[in-house]
Formats: sequence, structure tokens, C-alpha cells
Amino acid sequence: MVNIVGSASRTNPLPDVTASSPTEQAPLPATAQTARAGRSWRQLGDLVLHLVRRELASTHRNTLLGWAWPLLRQLAQLAVLVFLFSKVLNLNIADYPAFVFTGLVAWSWFQTALTAASYSVVANGHLVGNPRFPPITLPLVAVGVPLFDVLMALPLLLVLLATEGRLTDTALLLPLLLAAQFAFMAGLALVVSAANVYLRDVQSAVGVAMLLLFYLTPIFYGLKKIPPEYHWLLRLNPLTAFVNADRAVLYSGTLPALIDVGIAAGATALALAAGLALFRRLQPGFVDEL
Amino acid sequence: MSVLRFEGVWKAYRDWTQPPRTLRGVLARRTSVFGARARRWALRDLTLELPAGGSLGVIGHNGAGKSTFLRLAAGLGRPTRGRLTVDPDTAAVLSLGSSFDPQLTGRENALTAALVAGMTRREAQRRLPAMLDFTELGEFVASPVRTYSEGMKLRLAFGVMAALEPRLLILDEVLAVGDLAFRQKCHERIAELREGGTSLLLASHSLDELRANCEHVVWLHRGGVRAFGDVETVLDEYERASIERTYERTPVGGPREGRLRLRENRFGSQEMTVDAVEIQGTAPGLPVRSGDPLHVRVALTATDGPVKDPIVVVSLRRAGDQAVVFDLSTRADGVTLGREVARGEVTLSIERLELPAGDYALDVGVFEAAWEHAYDYHWQTYPLTVEGPPGATGLLLPVHRWTTEA
Repeated sequence: MVNIVGSASRTNPLPDVTASSPTEQAPLPATAQTARAGRSWRQLGDLVLHLVRRELASTHRNTLLGWAWPLLRQLAQLAVLVFLFSKVLNLNIADYPAFVFTGLVAWSWFQTALTAASYSVVANGHLVGNPRFPPITLPLVAVGVPLFDVLMALPLLLVLLATEGRLTDTALLLPLLLAAQFAFMAGLALVVSAANVYLRDVQSAVGVAMLLLFYLTPIFYGLKKIPPEYHWLLRLNPLTAFVNADRAVLYSGTLPALIDVGIAAGATALALAAGLALFRRLQPGFVDEL
Repeated sequence: MSVLRFEGVWKAYRDWTQPPRTLRGVLARRTSVFGARARRWALRDLTLELPAGGSLGVIGHNGAGKSTFLRLAAGLGRPTRGRLTVDPDTAAVLSLGSSFDPQLTGRENALTAALVAGMTRREAQRRLPAMLDFTELGEFVASPVRTYSEGMKLRLAFGVMAALEPRLLILDEVLAVGDLAFRQKCHERIAELREGGTSLLLASHSLDELRANCEHVVWLHRGGVRAFGDVETVLDEYERASIERTYERTPVGGPREGRLRLRENRFGSQEMTVDAVEIQGTAPGLPVRSGDPLHVRVALTATDGPVKDPIVVVSLRRAGDQAVVFDLSTRADGVTLGREVARGEVTLSIERLELPAGDYALDVGVFEAAWEHAYDYHWQTYPLTVEGPPGATGLLLPVHRWTTEA
């Protein structure tokens, strides 16, 4: 086997670089560097938005009700829960529909986003195989797409709260809470999307986790209904803090409890740090696995 | 400054022929969940540098590591060992099949590709008309890409590419499909970019394409460098090796078939054979006259399972001095016989055979997809006598007339 160092060492070298090519020189660090680098936040944001738009358009293509479907799904789930826990098994919670709907909006987003995120990289091989594509956009798109469902459900929820006379100025904090939940889920999405490339069991595990979390998150019940010795179990689930906070500002008209704010902030920071670290580490190997 | 630097790069892929990883296997300690798996080396100790503004061709037969090399150069995947530096401003067209979403339209795919390439939304939308214009796809840009032919995908891929001005452009055998006019347009665009300082990394099975576009060529063989140097030296060596391999692979003896005799006027591994060659002028049975059309029909059969994308060659030499009159190949003209060919028929039609009267002989051959060796080559086997006005000499008798003023 012959190895020759390329043209640099040849006597007949290449065109004068300084004469013909642009003068700006990209910094080339000593370690392996790939073509995926070099992209502004603006470009990244535009790409994420474009992919979200594309996803929304293709999901609702060839459907009669289109955008209304995700909303219908949430309302159907709401109807079942309201019937079950105010008529069959009465939990004695005031304005139960508004109470459940508040938790359900946050939950639906979480469930749809993480399920989609788990196979987001695996299912988009044609994008990942493009040398310039930043794969980190895929889990972000998975979280961003169902945010649209949230925004569809929100006016309905606000009307429901208003008719019950529960809407106060604390509701103005909701965008902040949604932003925090976005960041939290983005962190988790990074973890599951990257791990699923190497171990396809992850997407099945996410399915099982969602099944359990629906019951281990105070969606159709409140933390108050649970005996205090089991609170730790629900506290292990950071989503509890987000649902509690949503409920405080929307349903109760109070500021979120300090413990919920603390847990939400901590979980978000942890999820983002872990997600970014894991994703960065695993990303270069994606194309070889897909 | 270089746009690409490989320093002792090794690359292994997972061996897909090995049984898949299962829980039972993990528990029985035959495989581990995250640990090393059976792998195959696709690239072995590659050291290479492409200076800014340079152009490097890549040649080698299938499985030599060309695509692995190009994928790594494009920033896809990481080397198993060694160091790799790639310019961040690199654009690549690696494979036409997998780079688009088949469900979306050509227009939607082009817009996505532009954003993926790093444009902002506004920029992408501003340049979209120019990109679609370049493709010449017309109303087909509104059809889903799954309905596209390979040639149409090439058009789409290049339409997006044409809007970019990367510092390094990587092309993996994508210019082998599509019609001649469009490929010419692509080549013009490539030349334009090269003048602007863009470096080029081009893998191709077409030696002509490499000669036209590259200053240097690297010949990969079994994941390593077999030869590196300026384009003429390496390609000459490659062609010589092809002839040698063809001779080595030609079976000894064998039955005499008509005027064909192995190792005398018939060479090649015989994995695919040329069974029949029919030469016809204006009509069957008539002599071929200067200025007549000429049709050469070649029938092919694979003898040991279908072969991949064979190349058919027809060339004409003048009797006596053996001067080459023409040397045509399906590859050079972008014609493919198919991915897996078991049996085929190829007809070469020449509109006007503008040759002086005389005796000629045709060579007919079928080659391996990367010109690695000939499957079957019939050398100076098919005589062709052209009738025409006496007295004409030279290689060509063009349609002509004289105008005199005295």
C-alpha cells in the first residue's frame, strides 16, 4: 500500500490561493472538524421553523378536518376524563373541566413531543445524510410541532376559565411557563432522539414511560388528593412541577409555589445540559448508524 | 491553506452480515450493548491533502472506498482512527436517491435543501426561482419527488447546488445520469465555481470526466491509495492496469466461435459475453456507402449471474494503420443498461457515416462498471467496407462542396 501526502508536497502546485480565492480564512482547529459547523442562530432558527411548517403541512395534507384533529383529540380525552371523575367516580374538585383541561394541555404537548422526538432522527435519514444538515434541529422540531396544538387549545381553555370566573392577571405568566416547558422538553428530546439511534428500544421505552407518566402526573387529580407519604413519588416526575405551576397561574389565580418553580428550573437546566452533552457526543456517529 | 486534510485516517463500518444484536446475545456475552461490534475496514490509513483551489479526482472500482472517502470529506461520520480536517463551507451531492423527501414536491425539497445548506428563509425564498429555473423541470417542480427519474433528481440537486458558492464541492458519480445538455450545463457551472476559487473533489467512473475536471487523481484500491499524482499519469496507469487485468482474466483455450478465438482477438473475463453483433447500413444486405447511416446492434448475456451497470464500447479503426476513427461508450454518453443486467441489447446508431471509401474494422466490447476490466472484448473482429467516391483519403469525408470564383 502506498501512501503519499497530497499535492502540497508536489513540485507542480496549485493555483495561487491568495490571488483567486476569498480572503476570509475560517479558523481550523487542530482536532477533527466537520462541515456541520458554521451556522448562525438565525439560520438555525429559520431551518427549525421551516421544518415545523413542513411537518404541520404534511400531517394535515389530505385530511378533511386538518388542523382541528389535534384539538378534537384533546377534547375527546377531556370529555372522557370529566365524565369518569365527576360522574362515575366523583373526585370533588371544583370546576373540574377547567381543572383537567389545564393539566391536559401541558400533558398532551409533553406526550406528543417526546414520542415524536424519540424517532425524529431515525425517521429523517434523508436529512441527516445531508452534509450541511444540523441534526440538532430534529428533536427541536419534534417539540415545536405540537406546540401548535397547544396554541389551538389555549383560546378554548381561556374561555372555559373565564366563564368560571377563574381568569386573573396571573395567567399572563403562562407564556413564561410554556417557554420553560419547551426548554425542559427540548433537553429530554435531545436525549431520547440521540439514544434511539443507537438503541431502538428507546422509542418503545418512551411509549411505556408515557403510559406510566399519565397516571404519575397530577393531570386528572391534584397533588392534594394524594396521601403525603406518596408525594415523593410524584415529585420524582418533574412534569408535576410544570402542571402545578400551570394550574396555579390559570386555575387558582396564584403565583406558582416556590417548590414547583425550583424543581422546574432545576429539571430544565439538568435536562438541557444532559441533552446537549449527549447529543453532541453521539451526533457524529449518526450517519453510520442510519 | 487546505480545504481538506486526511491524516492517517482509518474508517470501519459495522459488518451488516453479522447477526443483529439481541438481548439474548448480550446476556450470553456474545455481543455487548455499546461495545465494539464486528466491523469492516473501508478506508485504511489514508493521508491526503487538497489545497484551496485544487481539484482532485477519485477513481477505483466498487468497494475500493471511494464513497467512504467522499462521505468523510463531506463531514458525514467520523473517522475510526486518524485526524480529519474539513472546510466548514463544503457542499456535496453524494447520492441522488436518499437526499430528498420522496413525498414532498420538487419545489418543497429545493426550499428545504436551501435552508439546510445554510440560507436564511428570506434568502432561500429569494433564490428559489433561480434554482428552479436552473433545473428546467418546468411544471414538474410541483410533483412529488417519488415520481422523479434519476435524471430529474440530478436536475433538482444541481439546481440547489447552483445557488451555492462553497469553498469545496464534492460530487460522487452523480453526473453519470441525465441528458447530455443538462450535464454540460452542470459542467459549465462547476467550471464557473472553479474559476471563483472553489475546490473540487470528484469521484467518477468516467475517465473523460476526470480528465476534463481534475488536476490530480487518487486511485483507491481496497481502502488504500494505489496511486496518486497528476491526472494523466494516474489515469494512464489505471487504463494499463485494466488491460493487464483483462488479459489475466481471459480464460485460456475454449472453443472457437466463428472468427473469435480467446486470447487472440477475444479478451475478457467472460462474465458477460457479446453474443451477436449486427452491422447494418441503410437496409439489411446493402453495402454501406459513405454518408449512409450505420447501426450496430450488440446482444449481451451474463454467464454467471447478472452484472452491475456494464459499459458497452464500439470503436472503429482503419484497416492497415489501425488509426482510431471513433471510440464511443455508453458511459461517456450517460447511457446506462441498468443496475442488474442479465441479458441485454444495445444499438448504436450513427446518423451519417462520413468516411472515405475503404476497409475498416469494428471493436465491440463490454466492460465492468468502473472500467476495471473487460468482460468481453472483440478486437478487430467485424470488418466494415465503406463504398464511396474514389480518391478520398484521410480519416473523415465530411459533407462538403466547393465554390469557385475565377
